[in-house]
Amino acid sequence: MFINNPISVFPDITEILFNSIHKNYLKVILLNVLLIFTAILIGLFTADYFNLFEEIKSYVYLFYIVFSFVFILVNLFMYIGFKKRKYAVREKDISYKSGVFIRKLTTVPFSRIQHIEVDEGLFSRFFKLASLSVFTAGDSSDDLVIKGIAKETALEIKEFISSKINE
Amino acid sequence: MNNSFDFSNFSRQSSKGILVLYLNFIYKFIKVTWILLFFAVKDFNKISSIKLTYIYIGIAVVLIFLLVRAYLIFKNFQFKVTNDHFILKQGILKKTNTSVPFYRIQNINFKQNIIQQIIGVFEVSIETAGSKDTEIAIKALPLSKAEALKEIMSKSASFDKLISIDVDKKPLVKIGLKELFKVSLTENHLQNLLLFLALIIGFFQQIEQFVETLGRTDLLDGFIAESKDALSISFFLITILLIFLTVIALMSSFVKIFLVHFNLTAYLKEDAFEIHQGLFTKKSIILKKNKVQNITISTNPLKRLIGISFITFKQAVSGELNEKKDKLIRIVGCKNEQVEIIKTSLFKVIELENGEKEYPENYYKRRILIFVFLFLIIGYALTYGFFNHFEIFYSTILVFPISFYLILKKVKKRFYKITDEMLIVGSGLLETHLTYLEIFKVQNIKMRQNIFQKRSNVADLILQTASGKINIPCIRFEDAIKIYNHTLYKVETSRTSWM
Repeated sequence: MFINNPISVFPDITEILFNSIHKNYLKVILLNVLLIFTAILIGLFTADYFNLFEEIKSYVYLFYIVFSFVFILVNLFMYIGFKKRKYAVREKDISYKSGVFIRKLTTVPFSRIQHIEVDEGLFSRFFKLASLSVFTAGDSSDDLVIKGIAKETALEIKEFISSKINE
Repeated sequence: MNNSFDFSNFSRQSSKGILVLYLNFIYKFIKVTWILLFFAVKDFNKISSIKLTYIYIGIAVVLIFLLVRAYLIFKNFQFKVTNDHFILKQGILKKTNTSVPFYRIQNINFKQNIIQQIIGVFEVSIETAGSKDTEIAIKALPLSKAEALKEIMSKSASFDKLISIDVDKKPLVKIGLKELFKVSLTENHLQNLLLFLALIIGFFQQIEQFVETLGRTDLLDGFIAESKDALSISFFLITILLIFLTVIALMSSFVKIFLVHFNLTAYLKEDAFEIHQGLFTKKSIILKKNKVQNITISTNPLKRLIGISFITFKQAVSGELNEKKDKLIRIVGCKNEQVEIIKTSLFKVIELENGEKEYPENYYKRRILIFVFLFLIIGYALTYGFFNHFEIFYSTILVFPISFYLILKKVKKRFYKITDEMLIVGSGLLETHLTYLEIFKVQNIKMRQNIFQKRSNVADLILQTASGKINIPCIRFEDAIKIYNHTLYKVETSRTSWM
């Protein structure tokens, strides 16, 4: 049993309110998916046009069916994944959760943050969105990144954290 | 106190540094081109005298070039100390200016490889926990200057007083030849054998690639095919091979242990450990207690029999973890009472005794069992598909029970124990590892739960420290939440610096 708490009530991670990321970020995600699938589709068309599938000519339509099926599935998956992405900023830490099949929850206390970055991608800039990354000491590949929040919000959070760190 | 050195102006290393750099370059050059050299020496008498002259000229040019390079690097390598910063200018064409504030310095280590030992200089390396480029090594300083430099940098408040080598004080751990022999004998030979084989295979691939470009592969192929045939026929050969491998395994354990840990002496100081070890490359490490992120105490059945274990100290690293293997500091051959002393000198005793062992949920065992047996079944199916010999299935009689036994062992060794300030995690398969972590040293915390875990109401916890991850797999969801909250509370209320 896990007892030995000097205080009776801890601030509880399950009881805080998580914010969803900006709804425009869904468009960015879907645009990215569209881009990749268009590239593959063009590849398929060209291959078909130059008769590369000669031997399996009669089955080529199956390719297209599978292709559309995967396209719809990926979009659906991305949509559910988008719904699951949530973040929360508390007085002393920042949390992010995501994942459809594997649910992940990460919390970084402000007192351990080494530096903060706000980046904008190509599509994101068009929708005035940004991603916020915080880095801690050690193997920093596994720190916290929140993609797709409004740029002003991202800058506000960055300011807030910076002021908290320097306290 | 030695203040006869002035560090406020730029100064260079000892001029012997040129020699150290030069020999180091030559060594690196040989390391890269050894295959070429090998073939050149082998076919020495086939090379015509004109070609030979060219080769000699080439070698001479390379040697002179390396000497000039060593000299220029030496000439341009200057350092000074101002305003509690260590400032370093270096670079021949691309000049770099590095400035390291003292409070960033994690360790100042002295090192001597065989050349440095002969000409009597020390390599001083300054380790920081910051970004990757601020790792500084001054290749050649005389002992007195090195000590003076360390003294100056140690004066800063956070990196307080200097710990000088105190000869009278009794060492905490001293490993003589006999003990080192015991340690080597009880090593994990299987692991060492695999490491050694990997090394050998690497060498062979290098040679093979080279031979291939020369177009002589068929000869080698014939040889390999022949020996494969012989193997399947002769049981005798396999026995010989096994004995040979055992000898190699033992040898590689001995070489590894003797090279790194020769003459291991560890002292316990008020706020630091001081460790000296090494056969050809002697290393002196001063390990500040508050810079230690976590420690792992490991043993295996053989070592337990003679009552020794080894302790791995982990310090903060920057960048990818596996690149920085040398930041793991290890004391081998500790007796149980020495382990106790080290433990109690780092952590509060009460914290270690409180708390109860908690084991992962049954889901953990189920997950490993399913994965391992799935892997085995697919492996067998593939092997059968390739070789078409029914005989391979006979080995299942051995493989399956052994796998099952090992999985049970692994599951049994997995536990965690949490008290107010400490987390202790047990793991291991054949070896047993106990990791001790002060909770406030956690950098960030993660909880992971896949859909199967959700159904069984369990979750994985991953605690990220400055020296790597610590996993607590498949514990009850409610416990995971409790630990999650507790850890955050401890980190956010702690006033102690994590390094």
